[in-house]
Amino acid sequence: MVTVTDIREKQRSIVPGDTTDMALFVRTSEEAMEGWDRQRIVDALMRETYIDPDTAEVISQEVEDIIRSSTINMVTTPLIRELVDAKLIERGLEEVRKQHTRLGMPLYDVNQLIMHPNKENANVPHGPEATNLTLAETIKKEYALLHVFSQEVADAHMRGDIHLHDLGFIDRPYCSGQSLEYIKKFGLNLPNSLSMAKPAKHPEVLLAHMVKFAAGLQSHFAGAIGWDAVNLFFAPYLVGMGDKEVRQLAQMLIFEFSQQAVARGGQAIFTDLNLYWEVPKHFRDVPAIGPNGEFTGKIYQDYLKEARRFVWALFDVYQEGDGSGRPFFFPKPLVHITEDFFRDPDHQQFLNHICAIASEKGNTYFVFDRGETAKISECCRLSFKLEASDLEDARQPWKMRYSALQNVTLNLPRIGYVSDGNDTKLFEKVSHFMELAVRAHLEKKSFLERLLSLGDEGPLALLTMNQDGESYLRMHRATYLIGMVGLNEMVKAHTGQEMHESKEAFKFSLQVIAHMKLLADKMSKRFGMRFVLEQTPAESTAYRFAKLDMRFHSPQAGHIIKGDIAQGEIYYTNSTYLSSDAVMNPIERVRQEGLFHPLIDAGSLTHIWLGESRPSPESLASFVTKTFQLTQNDQIAFSPEFTTCNECARTARGLMNNCPYCGSEDVDGITRITGYFTKISSWNKGKLGELKDRHRNQAFIKKDQNGQHTQLDV
Amino acid sequence: MEPGTETEVLLFQEDPRWHAGQKTIGIKGFLETSFLDWPGKVVSVLFLPGCNFRCPFCHNHALVLNPGGLEEIPRTYIIARLAELEGWVDGVCISGGEPTIHPRLPSLIAEIKGLGLPIKLDTNGSRPHIVKSLVEKGLVDCVAMDVKAPLNETSYAKAAGTPVDLEKIRESIDFLLQGEIEYHFRTTVVPALHKGEDLLDLARHLSGSSSLTLQNFNPDDPLDPKLKGTTPYTEEWLQQMREQIASIIHH
Repeated sequence: MVTVTDIREKQRSIVPGDTTDMALFVRTSEEAMEGWDRQRIVDALMRETYIDPDTAEVISQEVEDIIRSSTINMVTTPLIRELVDAKLIERGLEEVRKQHTRLGMPLYDVNQLIMHPNKENANVPHGPEATNLTLAETIKKEYALLHVFSQEVADAHMRGDIHLHDLGFIDRPYCSGQSLEYIKKFGLNLPNSLSMAKPAKHPEVLLAHMVKFAAGLQSHFAGAIGWDAVNLFFAPYLVGMGDKEVRQLAQMLIFEFSQQAVARGGQAIFTDLNLYWEVPKHFRDVPAIGPNGEFTGKIYQDYLKEARRFVWALFDVYQEGDGSGRPFFFPKPLVHITEDFFRDPDHQQFLNHICAIASEKGNTYFVFDRGETAKISECCRLSFKLEASDLEDARQPWKMRYSALQNVTLNLPRIGYVSDGNDTKLFEKVSHFMELAVRAHLEKKSFLERLLSLGDEGPLALLTMNQDGESYLRMHRATYLIGMVGLNEMVKAHTGQEMHESKEAFKFSLQVIAHMKLLADKMSKRFGMRFVLEQTPAESTAYRFAKLDMRFHSPQAGHIIKGDIAQGEIYYTNSTYLSSDAVMNPIERVRQEGLFHPLIDAGSLTHIWLGESRPSPESLASFVTKTFQLTQNDQIAFSPEFTTCNECARTARGLMNNCPYCGSEDVDGITRITGYFTKISSWNKGKLGELKDRHRNQAFIKKDQNGQHTQLDV
Repeated sequence: MEPGTETEVLLFQEDPRWHAGQKTIGIKGFLETSFLDWPGKVVSVLFLPGCNFRCPFCHNHALVLNPGGLEEIPRTYIIARLAELEGWVDGVCISGGEPTIHPRLPSLIAEIKGLGLPIKLDTNGSRPHIVKSLVEKGLVDCVAMDVKAPLNETSYAKAAGTPVDLEKIRESIDFLLQGEIEYHFRTTVVPALHKGEDLLDLARHLSGSSSLTLQNFNPDDPLDPKLKGTTPYTEEWLQQMREQIASIIHH
């Protein structure tokens, strides 16, 4: 048994610590309280709060009395802290109590967490690393809500008026876009790593640098890591390589990023590869960097051939799928379709190639850069539109590093519930929620700036490293995202109709987003920051808002919310999407949803759910071309569904209960959740509800006795 | 396109044109977009009711056995929708059922052609004179013919669920093989009806054709309840057959 003096000794060596950190368990008996030291309550109160010494002394005495007179034989530090807090409340010392708050989790929750998978993010597997991540996130989330954000903002989040994304990652920016040129030019010289690597000579080494840097970035950003023009920037390294070697490199790249589920929290690095068939205009005359980080003396246009061979090979690998024929979940390939793309005589061949992968595996994202627009995509749909200053930076592509610092999403349906059908009230409420979001951004920004100001010595040293005259994270170019969930349900609550049900409802929904866009622009001017609208991927937010509204806005919410209330599989339609169960052909969907895209600067996406049908690649190519030419749609992806068998390791098209090959029931369904592919078994209830409703193509209308109509699948 | 110029998005039944339309040919199904019915094209598909076959594996059997249970879609509505999809839809597939049993088929096709859209006809090949006459009049640009089984009375009758005049089938095949217009042959492969040898035999009748597509039987809801839930061939097996067949027909 440890003595009190031993404990004091140890306590001195560990500062600062929890109130009673050394005496995690104080054993009490009738005669003595072993390991007990009342002074530590006083110390903690003095260190952590603004309380006066006398009150602290009296409180510690009172708490000691309670423990002494109780029959508990083991007191834990959290319990002592709660007892102290109770005394503070009795005295009305609310501010002191807040300062003295303890963050942490109940035993029951920790046990649940260790034993059961996390369903908030389907990209987190279940394992010790994932548990660590969730535990850490839980505490940081509480920290953020208590300490980083003002009470008004934190309360709005807790109520579900707004959703502050990735609170568990409060001490990092949200997501980012990278350029390979940075590591090509400077090698890999990370603040915390044990060695410095000079710029790569060989493509395999460049790939190794890329993977390591990505892992480094993953631990400094909450979300996705996007890479610009990957096939083009690899090109100078590929000169003279045979087809087999190029294919091998492509395979290495995809497998490296698809199997990174061993990094932070066991999470795959959410990786986006931006790819081009032609050399994009802004890189065409830019001096190319090659082996050893040296300029090759040529410009990027000269590497068109190598860039093409590489992007073609990457898609060959996607076509094959992983070792059991499943689609790769990561890295996601985003092909930029530009005006110049169609001017290239060989574009049709390439378009058919990537459409074959879209049809068979679904991987391909088609990103439309019309006119003079250029973008870097990352995350589920997020992209950075390049501004004039960026196109200047393109002369030195290593400078092209972008980040969104935070994402805040508005609960639009709730605004519908409280506006009583009154337009003025509704728009006022939208403005109010937007202001809350802006306030949240200001608060996170100032917190991050504090961390960044610590420089090399701080927690974000990697983001402050300076190799080219400015810090890696370029705060002046950061964006602040404002997203939305459930435009469709808001409009239904307000007008009685869903967006696809009448022209008026649809028009009204456009007005709401136009209003938000206008406000975002206004706020940007006012604060000198870039507030941009984003289509929130809302993997769990659509579920969370729906649950909270069932609690706070029943019975009204019950009539509006989507999904199966009895099963708890409820959700709101994501962002500005049309209802996923709307009977609508893909043309209308792409056209109608596309009308919102010009208002949403941080990128948008329309999903086309293919189900089990396996379309002709050339037909998809025709559709993609028309989408570019005839709509304003920003980005589309075709999503097939698969069943993969855990027993025979084969993969078939469609969602089935049994493996069509071996009959086993041990199967997983796979399809796109929001912006990426994953196993359905890992989805949260809300998304499961949506999956059941997703409208695939239908042709027949069945009559029934009541004169009601039901749609039948083809 | 500017915001505000969007076309109306409505459920079929809520569209006023729905009720105004006349119902003459009895179109029972309208799929506005399909990426798989005519390779290379984005197409709309019309489904006509009724059929002179009773293929046990048919997955559109409501259309064959009980078309009265399906709502009819007015022709005028379809024409109006096709006009709205101009620039997007590259062609129209007429499917069924068996479209060639409808006397008003030529007039329906002519009306759609009037929109400048090419037409693909799905048929079982049992009425070659209709197919020929449509082609001669320039009303059809592509024909997809289902070949149900090798061309012998027993196999074909079993696969079609009714006795079939094989002369007519052969006549249709021969006509298409002349290559006047684009054509496709396809066979739905059902383990209870087709052994590997049957498929090779079937392919020999189509020697010289540009293609024969094997499609897998879907056991979810076939016309013959006995086939429901039976196990289809594996994709791998089908893939093997496809390769063998390719070498036969291209011979």
